[in-house]
Amino acid sequence: MSTTAEPQLELRGVTKRFGGVGAVDGVTFQVERGEILGIIGPNGAGKTTLLNCISGVHRVDGGDIRWEGRSITGMAPHRVARLGIGRTFQIVRPFGSMTVRENAAVGALFGSSAARRGPKQAFEIADQVLELVGLKAKAGQPVSALTIPDRKRLEVARAVATRPQLLLLDEVMAGLNNVEIDEALEMVRAVHATGVTVLLIEHVMRVIVGICRRAIVLDFGHVLAEGEPEVVLRDERVIKAYLGERYAKRLRTERGQDSPS
Amino acid sequence: MIATADSQRRWRRLFLIVGAIVAAYALLAPLTSLDAAQSANVPLLADKFWFRIATYVVMFVVMATAWNIIGGITGYAAFGNVAFFGIGAYTTGMLIAKAKWPFLVALPLAPILAALFAALVGLPLLRLRGHYFAVASLGVGVAVGELVQNIDYNGQPVFGGASGLFLPIYAVGHRGLFFFYLMCGAAAIAIAVTWWVLRSRFGYGLIAIRENEEAAAVLGVNTTAYKVGAFALAAALTGLAGGIFSQWNVFINQDNAFPIEYNVQMILMALLGGTGTVFGPAAGAVLLQLLIQFLGGSLPISIDLPFVSTEARPIVAQVILGLLLVVVVIFVPRGVIDFFGGRTRLSLSYLRRSLRDTSL
Amino acid sequence: MAAFVQLVILGLLAGGVYVAVGVGFGLVWGVLNIVNLAHGALVIVGGYITWQLFTAFGLDPFLTLPVDAVALFVLGYALQRGVINRIIRAPLLFTFLLTFGLNLVIVNILLLIFGSDFRSVTPTYSGQGFEIGGIVVPYVRLTSLGAAILLSAGLAFLLSRTRIGLAIHAIAADRDAAQLVGIDLRHAYAVTYGLGAACAGVAGGLIAMIQAITPTAGEPYTLQAFVVVILGGLGRVSATVVGGLAFGLVEAFGQSIPGSGSVFANAIAFGLMVLVLVTRPQGLMGRLR
Ligand SMILES: Nc1ncnc2c1ncn2[C@@H]1O[C@H](COP(=O)(O)OP(=O)(O)O)[C@@H](O)[C@H]1O
Ligand SMILES: [Mg+2]
Repeated sequence: MSTTAEPQLELRGVTKRFGGVGAVDGVTFQVERGEILGIIGPNGAGKTTLLNCISGVHRVDGGDIRWEGRSITGMAPHRVARLGIGRTFQIVRPFGSMTVRENAAVGALFGSSAARRGPKQAFEIADQVLELVGLKAKAGQPVSALTIPDRKRLEVARAVATRPQLLLLDEVMAGLNNVEIDEALEMVRAVHATGVTVLLIEHVMRVIVGICRRAIVLDFGHVLAEGEPEVVLRDERVIKAYLGERYAKRLRTERGQDSPS
Repeated sequence: MIATADSQRRWRRLFLIVGAIVAAYALLAPLTSLDAAQSANVPLLADKFWFRIATYVVMFVVMATAWNIIGGITGYAAFGNVAFFGIGAYTTGMLIAKAKWPFLVALPLAPILAALFAALVGLPLLRLRGHYFAVASLGVGVAVGELVQNIDYNGQPVFGGASGLFLPIYAVGHRGLFFFYLMCGAAAIAIAVTWWVLRSRFGYGLIAIRENEEAAAVLGVNTTAYKVGAFALAAALTGLAGGIFSQWNVFINQDNAFPIEYNVQMILMALLGGTGTVFGPAAGAVLLQLLIQFLGGSLPISIDLPFVSTEARPIVAQVILGLLLVVVVIFVPRGVIDFFGGRTRLSLSYLRRSLRDTSL
Repeated sequence: MAAFVQLVILGLLAGGVYVAVGVGFGLVWGVLNIVNLAHGALVIVGGYITWQLFTAFGLDPFLTLPVDAVALFVLGYALQRGVINRIIRAPLLFTFLLTFGLNLVIVNILLLIFGSDFRSVTPTYSGQGFEIGGIVVPYVRLTSLGAAILLSAGLAFLLSRTRIGLAIHAIAADRDAAQLVGIDLRHAYAVTYGLGAACAGVAGGLIAMIQAITPTAGEPYTLQAFVVVILGGLGRVSATVVGGLAFGLVEAFGQSIPGSGSVFANAIAFGLMVLVLVTRPQGLMGRLR
């Protein structure tokens, strides 16, 4: 776009409460165009809630979300999607009665600047995307025939088919074994290589270290630390958040070099 | 077991051929009872009585097919669609009886008004999900019927009140035939619309909403607009049937324009035939409506039920219908189209599997 | 002012029946996730039992209520165990249709047995009442309200203090977890539906004293049970009590609107229900499920 100084996505003091408890509480950060930004944090830290706020699934209780300089706070999810922000769900939500190919085609039919696409072109795009994520061989199968890792791929494929400029991935590697994680990392790199900014939410630290140049740690709805993954993961507050006070003390005395994973 | 591709194709072809023959017969049989045909000694295949039943059957084809758009394709269990039938009926009824409009000019306003009403109530209602939507739509259906019957202005009932609304008889030769084919036209429109929906971007959006509404939204589907659109489309088709019904029947009141049992019947027909398909609801409507008429003793071919007096017969028919409903719901959750469409074969293991899928 | 007080009292008295109709319906909906379209039919079965015992043996109608409860519990238990349990995991449309089918069967069997004549239960004290400050309070209405409150209290006690009650709570919270801790789901489901049916039976006994009944008279009560449960909010007996009384009040005030007569009461009630659903889906009292 024209103004390169502007961050692609900017959050200012974003807050979301559930019955008084702030699941996301005054979160501020920026996403630069073209980067892969990691967001980590223990279970219940508010990562998914944050993603729901950005994609318009939740209405925020406070703060501002800006996309390319324009506020998108309170915008309906489908309009956010059409602006070019795609997302996946941590708990996969495939369209069960459709085939793999049709699932991806729905993303292509709608999604960003989709108005001109009819079903025919949408299926062509779906095929390209399925190839990218490695699901081409299973295009004609019903979703029920897919394994868990494949369902996660499909979740990504559907989001990529919307042709997003920014892709929000919610724990797409949780529950996968090491080999599957490597494959998934490959997939994320391939998507990123097509020019898509990626915001990667993960519980597994290894993933963040392997692929992100920058990471944000979330805890109890607050940003705990921000910076290079290796540095962030050595931060004492982060270790404490993940492993508890006692472990942090022991670590301090032993001063181990490894990242806690 | 899932049938092989080959036997699948065979079943589907058989199904299509039988369906085409039945449809051709049903469509052409009434013609043979024309005076001209009779005097030319063409054998009589249908009498006036058959027309009436056939027109009813086709009317339900329209309603079940229309319900399928919101209930089957979009997955919103609308339980008050009879409101649209009644609104359609009263729209044409009022325009003809009170404003003296010609029937064919008044008829197009039936679907338009029904759709407008659906869009209006759909905006708040379609924010509800599951049971809540079903119950609220039922409430709207009941309330509209009551309002229409009871609204007074200066002490005069606006819509004919409890004594109903009489329309002048439509002057056209072969009236029964005319309304039968008119209703068939409505059914053709309903089926064609469904066919188009299932192939369009609109339809993919609706199915996505049915399968997972939030996922559909984040992929860019304008869920509110799509749901309201589907609801209004279903309403328009149902209203069209109502509009034709009012002139055909010449008399409308709360009982025949807003019968609560139609709500359940159209759903049952769609389920029986297979929801979400193009022809399923139509097939289910023909099957169930004929069965209802047969059990009620209105068909010329009927058998005597043992131990049942003639007065008790309609009641026993209702009991049988209820039991049938229970059996269908328990054993055939995916509709009969599953068998005839060739996706599955009717077998004991199929029945056992569908039981296992849903029971505790 | 006196007219206002009179309306409030009449509304609360009428609300007794709605409380009785609502609690069983709400229990089945809240725990089993079934919108029971056969509820009105079960209500009327209770009404006919009371009528039969009253006309054949001259039993005081209030004494027949326990009989209604037991008989309907057995019927409800059997229906759930034998039929409804088989589709409990199917989409909601199926439970709707199944219970509608049961409704059709029950109503028409009643028609075969009792015909379509109006039947009423008229003990010597029916039509009598007492007066305070110019307001007439009919005995039957007042006792019905008391019986309905007692019924709700009994149900609430049963749900919170007994083994089976706790099991029912566990199921409502999480079916699979309940099964893991050793609760016999089929039995507990059947008991829940049986309790709902028993409440319906008692409601039917009360209704038979207040209006003449026919086999088809139950249908409006199914619809009204919806409204009551939604007004109060799903999930707690006390919320349904509030919903039932609120419904009685709405009806009383709706009927008093000049020119509307009784005919708009239903339309007003349903309009209110849709309004509550859209603006406050958890009900006046409830928490969101
Ligand atoms: N829809 C919701 N209603 C109520 N509380 C919620 C909801 N979604 C999330 N929460 C709460 O918000 C907190 C953050 O949850 P979540 O964003 O899912 O965490 P994470 O994704 O980091 O594991 C948790 O305490 C969770 O219980
Ligand atoms: Mg999460």
